[in-house]
Amino acid sequence: MKTSEENVPDLCEYQVDNCKKFVDRIIKTNREVFIMSSLLEKQMCGYDLIKEILSTCDVFLSQGTVYPVLYTLEGEGLLHAEYSKGDMRSKKYSLTPSGREIAEKDVEAFAKALEQVSLLLKR
Amino acid sequence: MSLMLKNTINGLDKILFDDIPKGSVILVTGAEGTLKSGLVFSMMANHVAANDCHGLYVTLEQNVESHLRNMNSLGIKKEDGLHIFDYRDMRLEWMDSELDLIKTTQEVIDSYKEKYDNLTLFALDSLNALYSISEHDNMRNQIYNFFSNLRDEGFTSFLIMESAQSRISGQFSKFHQTEHYLADGTIELGMIEGKGGVKRYIQILKMREAKHAMEKHQLTIGDNGINILGPIY
Repeated sequence: MKTSEENVPDLCEYQVDNCKKFVDRIIKTNREVFIMSSLLEKQMCGYDLIKEILSTCDVFLSQGTVYPVLYTLEGEGLLHAEYSKGDMRSKKYSLTPSGREIAEKDVEAFAKALEQVSLLLKR
Repeated sequence: MSLMLKNTINGLDKILFDDIPKGSVILVTGAEGTLKSGLVFSMMANHVAANDCHGLYVTLEQNVESHLRNMNSLGIKKEDGLHIFDYRDMRLEWMDSELDLIKTTQEVIDSYKEKYDNLTLFALDSLNALYSISEHDNMRNQIYNFFSNLRDEGFTSFLIMESAQSRISGQFSKFHQTEHYLADGTIELGMIEGKGGVKRYIQILKMREAKHAMEKHQLTIGDNGINILGPIY
């Protein structure tokens, strides 16, 4: 996966800064979708999720915003959590069948929404 | 019909004549074993069940499973609208990082509020634990801001604090006076030893904008959970 910086076309410094702010805001506001999207690929703990989103998007989702999402999604039956064998330090989350179905639909809907917003801006 | 907080515990209306005003920050103090967690959790569970709203109980002292086992042993059931957040996973996974738990707690509250529009109750168990794992140069300002934010959020908050009389831990809050000045209400729980043995009591020391009794009343646990009986004198 390309990092967010590699995905940014040639922009001046001012635009790069603003682009980063917009990406930051979009990811933080819609973190539930990004968390579920990351879990589509593999099971992860809260720490892994935060580090992955930081390394791919250069956006730091703080612990106080990620763990509540994991706990509520688990409570809703969309995530399954288990401690790694021999490592009680990290609780790995994976999508349940219903969670996977919702994650796939939400990721698709979110991508569509971004397309629509992009079209609106290009009018 | 909505259930007022003063009616969430059998007999609480004997000592609290008006309801706890919405948006109040209430300190629940007492030594260990005086049912602080049980009282608060029971009030919240009964309130969210009857009013179709949500509550958030943040525990720094126990993990969710051990807290629920403890509540279950007291005959207190968790309701769907009552969410429990513990820091176990976060603290284990970020063991090597410094976590600002006051800021993080505020973010946790905001996250749940974002998820549940009708989040009306919040509890922190306990302030002592928050202090012991938070290091701030200007702790008094941090406490002031924390209390102000809770009030601004508009929901009723219960902050559990082991009192200075703690016989086992011997820990004292350096900021003990600060919390009492800042809180809108203080409920004290304790134990009195008499001829008939040790009895638990509840006493409302302060409740802004609400009429209340000043006497200590007996607190018991029965098959139906926590009960408040008559004056203990």
